[in-house]
Amino acid sequence: MASPYKKRRAPVGLALVAALVALPLVPILLWTFAGEWRFPDLLPKEWSLRGIQHLTAPGSRVAEAVFTSLGIAVAVTVAAVAVGLPAGMALGTYRFRLKGLVIFLILLPILVPPLASTMGIHLTFIRLGLADTAFGVFLVHLVPTVPYAAIILTSVFADRTGELEEAARTLGASPLRAFVYVTLPEVAPGIAVAALFSFLVSWSQYILTLLIGGGSVVTLPMLLFSAASGSDPVITSSLAVVFALPAVVVLLIALRYLKPSGDQGLPGLGKVS
Amino acid sequence: MSDRVKIALLLTPALLVLGVLFSGGVLAALLQSLGYFPAIGMTEFSLDAYREVLGSRDFLDSLGLTVYIAGASTAISTVLAVAAALALRRSSGRVSAVVFQLPITIPHLVAAVGVALVVSQTGLGARLAAALGLVGEPSEFPALLYDPYSVGIILTYVWKEVPFIALIVLAALRGVSEELEEVAGTLGANAWQRFWYVTLPLISPGVVAGSLIVFAFTFGAFEIPFLLGQTYPNILPVMAYNEYRDIDLAARPAAMAINVVIAVMTALFAALYLRLSRRLRRG
Amino acid sequence: MSARLELEGVSHRYSRDEWALSELSLAVEPGELVAFLGPSGCGKTTALKILSGLLTPTGGDVRVDGRSVLGVPPERREAAMVFQKPLLFPHMSVEANVGFGLKMRGVPRGESGGKVETALRRVRMDGYADRKPGELSGGQQQRVALARALVTEPGLLLLDEPLSSLDANLREGMRELVKEVQESGGYTTVFVTHDQEEAVVLADRIALLFDGRLRMYDRPQAFYERPASREVAEFFGTANFLPGRARNGTVETRLGDLRLSTPTPPGEVTLTIRPEAVRFEEGENSFAARITSTTYLGTQVTCGLDAAGVQLKASLPPHTQLREGDRVTARLPAESLWALEDGPEGQPG
Repeated sequence: MASPYKKRRAPVGLALVAALVALPLVPILLWTFAGEWRFPDLLPKEWSLRGIQHLTAPGSRVAEAVFTSLGIAVAVTVAAVAVGLPAGMALGTYRFRLKGLVIFLILLPILVPPLASTMGIHLTFIRLGLADTAFGVFLVHLVPTVPYAAIILTSVFADRTGELEEAARTLGASPLRAFVYVTLPEVAPGIAVAALFSFLVSWSQYILTLLIGGGSVVTLPMLLFSAASGSDPVITSSLAVVFALPAVVVLLIALRYLKPSGDQGLPGLGKVS
Repeated sequence: MSDRVKIALLLTPALLVLGVLFSGGVLAALLQSLGYFPAIGMTEFSLDAYREVLGSRDFLDSLGLTVYIAGASTAISTVLAVAAALALRRSSGRVSAVVFQLPITIPHLVAAVGVALVVSQTGLGARLAAALGLVGEPSEFPALLYDPYSVGIILTYVWKEVPFIALIVLAALRGVSEELEEVAGTLGANAWQRFWYVTLPLISPGVVAGSLIVFAFTFGAFEIPFLLGQTYPNILPVMAYNEYRDIDLAARPAAMAINVVIAVMTALFAALYLRLSRRLRRG
Repeated sequence: MSARLELEGVSHRYSRDEWALSELSLAVEPGELVAFLGPSGCGKTTALKILSGLLTPTGGDVRVDGRSVLGVPPERREAAMVFQKPLLFPHMSVEANVGFGLKMRGVPRGESGGKVETALRRVRMDGYADRKPGELSGGQQQRVALARALVTEPGLLLLDEPLSSLDANLREGMRELVKEVQESGGYTTVFVTHDQEEAVVLADRIALLFDGRLRMYDRPQAFYERPASREVAEFFGTANFLPGRARNGTVETRLGDLRLSTPTPPGEVTLTIRPEAVRFEEGENSFAARITSTTYLGTQVTCGLDAAGVQLKASLPPHTQLREGDRVTARLPAESLWALEDGPEGQPG
């Protein structure tokens, strides 16, 4: 169209933004497979699989850390959704007094850094024998994940009218069966978003694991952090690739199977209340 | 079952988990900051820790740096996000979705590693500068990591948070009718005036809400400054962590006092954000 | 102040074979109000957007006072537009909305205040200056939108169906207001509408568009009395079409030889006459007919006539005594008959 206000500048803008997004990811990929890459060469002179080999080398503890990270993240995901689902149902379906306050309280752990609460609770965890254990780490990971799950699911339930359940009830379904056969399938994509988000938040967690795990619970970010403080970019980059992999996979899953509702960084935050 | 009972039952698990682990933790931090720390025999309430912390040079330096990093990251991210949202306003589809969502999902640590590999003195940027003949030795390239201006930290935050704000702005833009901009045009507004007087005021609640979240986050985030920051001063959360790791348990109340300061300030930002986003929805 | 507007061969197409507007040429004299009339999709809104500068045509030229304005962006054209929806800026007060155009032109605050007040008074919205658009009714919003367009004293006023979003009872008042404001200000005005009645009431001249082409451009009366084609006549509600052959100043039809008051060149023609022009009396051009149907419409009764197998429609006063089946004498007055020159494809029925 020839309107002066509808110029086709989008492709140029998109290309520029895409380049800026890719910029820091490019050297990570290059270094992962770099052999010799001295200053001031723009590209590695030699390529090597040293980085990849390190990931599987017995002494590197990478496999173990991935396993620990995955285990904690999966457990956190299941728990966060299990706890967030009923909360989301209540906040999305009903109107009640103090609802604004409840939402504020649930959102607070996302916006107030969980560092403060975790340092506060550390002593209690030590007393209860939860410090330096994977279970303790699992528990503190709930602090940033439950709010996300609850808020995402709140907006999912807020978008529904409940008419389908009413229809199911008039067709003879009990409340439980209506929930299982009508409600759950309908909110399943929302649950998936909440689960993917919780997984990523737990997977990316560094400081809470460091504080409560105390070095005994070694997750992937622990290894990446110490590598990044060191001076071998090949090792750092290969760890970074592994660490970023779930994010890429999750993103692709979300784009492939879910309708593009994740418009906002905190999905659905704007729709709450 | 009445609705009230139902609501209470549905909310109980989440409020229990967050109440114990988050509120309990904050409360414990508050008590310890007030000098109530029975484990080492401190049972008297006092404001000593606050007096000691708030008056110290270290705290003020750290606070200044924290506000600087959070403020600069937020300001730069906001401006770029609005520009990016305007540029991509009419491009829809999967490519732009991936481009926008990728930095949001990639962990901060990975972003920091990538930014470091670009801006370090032997990084991609320095190599490009060398290829252009601007520098000969790595040491001639400006130090952008562990530096007093926290360039590497700010760049990492900008990379992570621009898409975050941009998505909020894009959603807000969708609510602005392009016809309004056309009307402004027929009334004599040029491109800049259309943006400044029509588009920007209409998306500003979204822009402010997004920036507030980013400010609160960068104010309280730990790992990027811990990894890429200089030794002294470092930001408040890192300072709190260092105090906390101090072998002398008597330093605990000070660490907790810093934590309480961070928590109170970010809670204020959160409250502001919620007020704004509520007004945003009401239109 | 008010400008003379010329369109010459203006064409626009959105894709290869989707013509929105084809070879539109016409002139609007200073101070004249012209209605672009046509069904939706006829290209009238496209034409208006081209005049405002929001759209650049793919062909042709637009001249204001003799100078081409094609390369001029909307903000530098002295053309103010009122859209279908009021489109007030929701974050500004009524006063700020109306003053917007002045502010964009850098008019100092002191000077603009008076102009805003005057503009609001002209649309009878004085006293609402401090309100926000959300607090006004649809009709009030549209009046503010009109004031906002007028405040800069535009050389050209463009109205895109500004009444269509209003309730029927508000529409008439707004129509009168538009007419009053346009006449007192003497703005050269182009008004887009799909409502034939609106065009007739408001316009000095009507440009009738079908499928992106100009079909007729004339005074409203002409559309009733001398339609350019059967299509035009049908759009204006003329129901009667009568095939015939013109010869020696009369037209030979199945109802006999009819005389027209306008000279008709010889050949195949289609005669038209509006239902309200049909008379029930003896005299020139009269014939015997039977009433086949009557429909009571409140202010009038329309009836169907059959005369020698020709079906006609006529209007009668509401208290008529004529009933279905009555035999009558009908007359088609010479001054009301109009001959359409038909091509061979124009098979009248």
